Amino acid sequence: MPAADTVAAPVFSVRNLWKVFGPKAARVPDSELAGLSPEELRERTGCTVAVRDVSFDVRKGECFVVMGLSGSGKSTLVRCLTRLIEPTSGTIAIDGEDVCGMDKGALRDLRRHRAAMVFQHFGLLPHRSVLDNVAYGLEIQGVAKAERRARAAEMVQKVGLAGMEARRPAQLSGGQQQRVGLARALAADPEVLLFDEPFSALDPLIRRDMQEEVVRLHRDEGRTMVFITHDLSEALRVGDRIALMRGGRVVQCGTPEEIVGSPADDYVRDFVRDVPREQVLTVRRAMRPVRSSGEAENGPALNPATTVADAIEAVARTGSPARVVDSGRCLGIVDFKSLLSIVAGLDRVQPLGKAAA
Amino acid sequence: MSSATTTVAPQAAAPPGALRAAWQRPAARKLLLLGAVTAVLAPFAAARWGSGAWPSELAVSLDGPLGRANDWIIDNRDSHWLFLHFFGHISNAIITAVRTVYVVLLALGWAGVTAGASLLAWRLAGVRAGATALASFAVCGLLGMWVPTMRTLALMIVAVAASVAVGALLGLAAGLSDRMFRGLRPVLDTMQALPAFAYLLPVVLVFGIGVAPAVLATVVYAAPPMARLTALGLRGTDQGVLEAVDSLGATGRQRLLTARLPLARRELLLGVNQTIMMALSMAVIASVIGADGLGDRVYQSLSTVDVGAALTAGIPIVLLAIVLDRTTAGRGSWAGVPRGGTGGHDQPRRRTRTATTWAAAIAATVALGRLAGTTWPETWTVAIATPVNEAKDWMVQHLYSGIPGIGGTADWAAQYTGWVLDPLRDGLQALPWWGALALVAALAWLIGTWRTALTAVLSLAAIGVLGRWEPAMDTLSQVLAAVAVTLVLGFAVAVPAARSPRVDRLLRPVLDVFQTMPQFVYLIPVVALFGIGRAPAAAAAIVYALPAVVRIVSQGLRQADPAALESARSLGATGGQQLRQVQFPLARAELLLAVNQAVVLVLSVVIIGALVGGGALGYEVVFGLAQGDLATGLMAGTAIACLGLMLDRVTQPTKEANR
Repeated sequence: MPAADTVAAPVFSVRNLWKVFGPKAARVPDSELAGLSPEELRERTGCTVAVRDVSFDVRKGECFVVMGLSGSGKSTLVRCLTRLIEPTSGTIAIDGEDVCGMDKGALRDLRRHRAAMVFQHFGLLPHRSVLDNVAYGLEIQGVAKAERRARAAEMVQKVGLAGMEARRPAQLSGGQQQRVGLARALAADPEVLLFDEPFSALDPLIRRDMQEEVVRLHRDEGRTMVFITHDLSEALRVGDRIALMRGGRVVQCGTPEEIVGSPADDYVRDFVRDVPREQVLTVRRAMRPVRSSGEAENGPALNPATTVADAIEAVARTGSPARVVDSGRCLGIVDFKSLLSIVAGLDRVQPLGKAAA
Repeated sequence: MSSATTTVAPQAAAPPGALRAAWQRPAARKLLLLGAVTAVLAPFAAARWGSGAWPSELAVSLDGPLGRANDWIIDNRDSHWLFLHFFGHISNAIITAVRTVYVVLLALGWAGVTAGASLLAWRLAGVRAGATALASFAVCGLLGMWVPTMRTLALMIVAVAASVAVGALLGLAAGLSDRMFRGLRPVLDTMQALPAFAYLLPVVLVFGIGVAPAVLATVVYAAPPMARLTALGLRGTDQGVLEAVDSLGATGRQRLLTARLPLARRELLLGVNQTIMMALSMAVIASVIGADGLGDRVYQSLSTVDVGAALTAGIPIVLLAIVLDRTTAGRGSWAGVPRGGTGGHDQPRRRTRTATTWAAAIAATVALGRLAGTTWPETWTVAIATPVNEAKDWMVQHLYSGIPGIGGTADWAAQYTGWVLDPLRDGLQALPWWGALALVAALAWLIGTWRTALTAVLSLAAIGVLGRWEPAMDTLSQVLAAVAVTLVLGFAVAVPAARSPRVDRLLRPVLDVFQTMPQFVYLIPVVALFGIGRAPAAAAAIVYALPAVVRIVSQGLRQADPAALESARSLGATGGQQLRQVQFPLARAELLLAVNQAVVLVLSVVIIGALVGGGALGYEVVFGLAQGDLATGLMAGTAIACLGLMLDRVTQPTKEANR
């Protein structure tokens, strides 16, 4: 599966990234100190490692989610991408251009035009109206007043805040404020959108709305996104690929199905335990080989990307096993037994057995 | 403190286990260490220099050098290049500025100034502030105080403009540079703790007596709050917003102009407000060094105990304070309220309209002023001095003493002096000098850190070295007695205010008015009530410090975590238990702050109390100024500064100590 996707060149390419806070932080990576546990390191040097030897690529047009609990270093990581926090060591490249080597002007240019960020606590200017907040990024860039207002008005329209242009942020609800934050980021028409736990401060219902908004934006515009969250269901909903972080390290990086279906270790397994598997896993994982030629001819045809939940519906409706068909070729069969064993989690043992073998 | 001493007391006889237990407590550890140091050094010091007041061997007489410096300055003021090309220009610029503003105010005429001030107040802070301004200026005119009011106003305008400019620049530097902030902050903190009188003599030494030194002293006194609040405002900007601004690629300049300064607006306006209030307070006190105007009238009247005349000039000061405070504080709160519906689109048009309105208003004001005449018409004044003095004479006859059962005000004053102040002063003066040092060190260390303790001890020692030990102990006794009374009264008022919203509502406007009044005017009523001496000075100090203490304590008590209070209530705690066991411990920081403020504010008035017979250090300053003996005055002024520093540090809880 990864082999098929490497066609798109990476937008962000991060290699061996470290961020250490504390006195003389630079000596920690590439030394024997790097091997120490966080407690030992703090004891010996007074330093805290936020990001520990992280490497990943963000491909063009995908929504890359970095997920982890609080303190796992995910927010620090996303800030390192535009050097809002200066990384300690490692390389970051945007479209092949070295971010760490950029001078002030180039970095400003990067922040102005290529990567815009949406923040957990919105970061709106309380003394400006909604319209002026959205236009703020353009104002910083030096866009003329009439033009930036026109573009800002368009963005306000796009995020569904038409009619509220003249209000102050304090007069908006949390969800509306975050829409302003989103519009501000979109106004600069950036190549990449960075989201730092954008919906954590919102009510569950509004959070859901906003997630759908992001998914829609992603689908409609195909904009590359890096999305930070601590909420697994949010990660599964919006993410094309997910990097799961713990203690500054990426413990697993893969599609939602890989994370849920083949957890890399006990921590990840524990993490995804309560996920409704049938909604994430696809029939590609549930199918069994074709036993007879009759099977390959009859029954409803399903795409390999169909979720198990949808397959159950199709199988239950027709009462017969369904075929998994990819470009006219029958890959396998899903029946009651194979589908239910996914729901029951019986397939969990399988990867372990494979690993042992 | 008491708990610490109880743990230490039995240590001599107690087994080592108890000693070790005491060692575990930081307070006890500090006291033990200090006790050991004192036990080693004290006998040596006592044997060498005696145990009375500060030994003369350790004092350095600066009379000679200071006198010579003063003489040199007087001789060279008209010839030396430093004065010709530097101080002279400053002095001339100030005098020219004040005179220009004064001439403009006179040219506007009484009607013009009143109308202009009312319009301004109305525009900035609403109809009520406008009406207050209108009434206040009218009363100033009615009292026949128009010209002195304008003189004070002219001095104020120049001083405030300079203070705000200087303060904002310093604050900007400290807000943007960490190093500058670290360097400036202790200086500003210290400056705010020093009594106004300490600032007078250095400027007089260089500039002589007159308007220029008065304005300069005012600027030095009033600029720190502006600098402090500007720096704090810039530093307190929401980090999330700043990060967002950075993420959009803003340059440093854009960041400052579009985010940090607008977000610090509330602090900036508060800084302007505080600077104006401090400037007024100082501009009035600076009458002692030659600022004319209202303060001078009060000063002259007080020196002849003419209460009527003092009140005639004092009322305009209070009114001016209220008008200035309402006008500027109103603007501060207005800034915080988001104005709904004021979109960006129509702003340019609105701006031109406002400009037109303003131009029209100014033109109308000037025309009105030209028509109505320069100063308030003679015939429209009401002389209140005589009736006030008659009322005061009646009070002297009927209230001063001999009221059956409760005595009279003069009796109370005599009793306070005889039973509280005198024993306390004698006690402090009889205290061995090394004992006083050890006591101050112990107190400061228990509340703060070893650093604050060291500063406090060094300040006290500096007073001794300057040879001002005895008067300083006199002043200290007045301060301690007044602080004790202030705290008792303050807590007695603050506790009900914290517990009952109704009491709080009743109290709030009173506190507001009292907190805006300059220190100087408090001297007027106390002279009428108690005559002359140390007791009226103490009364003025108590009345001046009380509102701040009440406000801080009641706020501290009210801010106690409601969840903690609720759980205490649910466990069946009585009101008293809640207060003692929950509210007081949770409000520890505020209570200490209240003590600190009480000490600082009381000291500032006790020093001014020299003008009504308070004696001690303040008197030496006034005497030095009156006699042209700047050496004496300057040393007393330095001793005042040291005393202020010492008292501030002794009562200053630091963050480290709270941890």
